[in-house]
Amino acid sequence: MSDPTDDDRPAWVRAWDDMVALVGTDLSDGQTRWGADVVEAGSIRRYAEPLELGSAIHHDEDAARADGHDGLVAPATSLLTFALPPMWRPGEPPLFDAEDRDAQPARSPINNENNGPVPRTAGFFATDLEMDFLRPVLAGERLGLRGRRLVACTPKETRVGRGAFMTIESEIVSDRGDVVARQRTSTYAYDPHLDGEATA
Amino acid sequence: MKAVRTIADVRVGDELDPVAFPLTVYRLIMAAGANRDFNSIHHNSEHARATGAPEMYANTIFLMGMWERAVRDWAGPAGELTAIRGFRMRRFNTVGRTTTVHGAVTAVDAATGLVTIALRSEDPDGITVGPGEVDVRLPGAGAAG
Repeated sequence: MSDPTDDDRPAWVRAWDDMVALVGTDLSDGQTRWGADVVEAGSIRRYAEPLELGSAIHHDEDAARADGHDGLVAPATSLLTFALPPMWRPGEPPLFDAEDRDAQPARSPINNENNGPVPRTAGFFATDLEMDFLRPVLAGERLGLRGRRLVACTPKETRVGRGAFMTIESEIVSDRGDVVARQRTSTYAYDPHLDGEATA
Repeated sequence: MKAVRTIADVRVGDELDPVAFPLTVYRLIMAAGANRDFNSIHHNSEHARATGAPEMYANTIFLMGMWERAVRDWAGPAGELTAIRGFRMRRFNTVGRTTTVHGAVTAVDAATGLVTIALRSEDPDGITVGPGEVDVRLPGAGAAG
């Protein structure tokens, strides 16, 4: 084992060592995290509106059936949305407890909490995504997310800051009992460069 | 948009009609509300700048949806998306600009009906997402040439 005093890597790189050691393991508790709502015509319509996604299979059940589908079809790319849990449930503490203009909610289902020993960072964004769609999802189903296998964790300094790229694999499951999609999502969690700090 | 496209209609090299998405604040907020990615980087310029981005920018699900829109418009109602690969977000798709999706067929399997389409999103400065691929299954498998 090397002498830790010989480790001349920057502290911000060493801060990711515990997470890097978990590559290949499932960071989840094994439970399915169910989406907030059943897939239904109204939420499909709202998803389609900003995209101007006009195919009748997303808007008209009769037309969808005439085209060979078993009901109103959710857009394939909407599965991530339908697998998201609610922002807030009755009985939970407030989300909004500050009046500052840019104050953030106390919690969000979209976050960089990876259930692992990651350093706290100020920012994150998604960088890569791959999905396999195993079958179309129809109105009336409820979706959930299962598993969070850490595929990669690579510390890196970029033009926006210092942090690490992480890739997580998960399954999207239906309340009908099957896996409807598999996804691999990569994110970059980072602390922005301070003013005047050199960028790589 | 072709009403029903079958595998027999498709050849390698066929190009999809480009689809342009002007990105206004209004649209980004509609998208965030609809796909429930409420991260402030997607609807708050000051917050986005504080995280190192030049401006608020389109979220991942919205950007993926743009690829689906381009493929769905081309494939018609009977097509079934089976995979997205290489969806790499290289630059921010920022408000006040237009992201345009371009695509072309790179593989056709008449036996299975599976078509692979190379896709990329561009703004006036070049590629923002991809190039990647979408697989879509079309009807008519086994009947084509």
